Amino acid sequence: MQQQRLVHFLLLSLSGLALTGAARAQDKPDWRISGFGTLGVVHASEHEADYTSSVFKYNGAGATRRWSTDVDTRLGVQLDATLARHWSAVLQVVSEQGLDNTYRPRVEWANIKYQATPELALRVGRIALPIFLTADYRKVGYAYPWVRPPVEGYNVMPVTSSDGIDATLRWGVGPVRNASQVFYGHSAVNLFDALRVYGRRGIGISNTSDWGALSVRANVLSAEISSNIGAELFRAFDAFGPIGQDLTRRYEIDHKRMMLANIGVNYDPGSWFVMAEAGHTVSHSFLGSTRSAYVSAGWRWQAFTPYATYARVRAAGATTDPGLPVAALPPALAPTAAALNGGLNYLLWTIPQQTSQAVGVRWDLRTNMALKVQYDRVTPQEGSRGTFINPTPRFVPGHPVHVASVALDFVY
Amino acid sequence: MATLQSFRLLGTSLLLGFLAGAPVCAADLVVIVSARSPVAALRADQVAAIFLGQSVRFPDGTEAVPFDLRLGVPMRDEFYARVTNKTPALLKAHWSKMVFTGRGQPPAELPDSAAVRRKVADDPEAIGYIERSALDGSVRAVLVVQ
Repeated sequence: MQQQRLVHFLLLSLSGLALTGAARAQDKPDWRISGFGTLGVVHASEHEADYTSSVFKYNGAGATRRWSTDVDTRLGVQLDATLARHWSAVLQVVSEQGLDNTYRPRVEWANIKYQATPELALRVGRIALPIFLTADYRKVGYAYPWVRPPVEGYNVMPVTSSDGIDATLRWGVGPVRNASQVFYGHSAVNLFDALRVYGRRGIGISNTSDWGALSVRANVLSAEISSNIGAELFRAFDAFGPIGQDLTRRYEIDHKRMMLANIGVNYDPGSWFVMAEAGHTVSHSFLGSTRSAYVSAGWRWQAFTPYATYARVRAAGATTDPGLPVAALPPALAPTAAALNGGLNYLLWTIPQQTSQAVGVRWDLRTNMALKVQYDRVTPQEGSRGTFINPTPRFVPGHPVHVASVALDFVY
Repeated sequence: MATLQSFRLLGTSLLLGFLAGAPVCAADLVVIVSARSPVAALRADQVAAIFLGQSVRFPDGTEAVPFDLRLGVPMRDEFYARVTNKTPALLKAHWSKMVFTGRGQPPAELPDSAAVRRKVADDPEAIGYIERSALDGSVRAVLVVQ
């Protein structure tokens, strides 16, 4: 509904601006269609949970089925329109498996840009969240060497865009070229059934500095998050008086200030590259606090780019909580309290703790197509299901899961 | 003795001439601006920044609008290999990042050196690259790509 309104608003604005643009003879509106996509298949050795690329997926490879084409497969179409000398608009629609188990296309980008000066650009609409080194093109497989960005860092923040405004200023100091971006926005994500996650009053700063082959990007994002996930559980905790209410205050996603800070470095002189990124999140809720990092390096030989990656994510706090003091409660309430404690710890179990090593090779078949083969050795750590989804009651962390992926990426 | 020395000298100068001259003669590329542009010379990194969409101005502050040769023209691949250290695949990956993040579109493309020279000659903001042999008075070479 909200997406429809956004598209409607955008189309109206586009046609309006196109008319004003066309009035100036030398600035004819100009349309460009481009796109990107990935055809991927993944195999995982785990039988009791699904390996996938985002927590916003319905399933993946592992428990649901040994081989899955849903982990990386997607198609994106982008419409770029130059409306007048300083006005342009972009609409990007992406089709990939979502939490509803369909490939229903979603509006990833829909914004209008005003290029106030050659250095300063202002945008309004749906904008990609600039929160990682490769955040704003994380769905464009062709643009990075791997099959997918390391899930340990990127899964911590599965929301990829927000509705709002941003400003980007390009500036230089000697040989260093910078792009600084500030943004403000909201986002609403429908999970499944009636579950939702809201991010309100999100504010972020991002800076990218390029100096020859070196690129450094730093981002900070803060947003007030709310969700009805676990609402029934927390209402039941509330009924247990001050101790239960205290647990609700600590863990429910209810107007909590989430903070995310991240720094990434890429050195790419052409014949080889090294990339490294480190991030920290604080949520003041059952989403926990995490620290994540990865380092990846590759070497380009003719059309082949072999690479290796090491990635990890750790909870910055506890992933279990004793919850209500079952022993101190009247015997009649003890089973209910124990069940609630179990529910709370199930939520806390989703805070990712995981280590993975990956090796792969990218083969540039043509100038707009690349084939990638990757092997990941993924180990969810104790007290966590890592980045896996749909765990069965028999899922046990602590042992390595072998994941093999093949992906064909293209842009057009 | 004297004969031997002059022979050696001749050998050295031949060798030096070969080293210095050969790569330039083999594929001599020049980066050009309009003869009406105030820009006199550019470094390779300044040219790279303009063609990769990282810089929108010449060092003197005037706007810079780059023009490319068409995809598949060997001179284009050579220009990017020497100035930006990027293969056609890496360049495509670079523009995929720029386009799909709304940060920019690649330079407009023209079919050959003559078309680039005509376009650049007419527009003081334009910048392009052509064979040195295609140079004439309408444009100014601001960098010789070796």
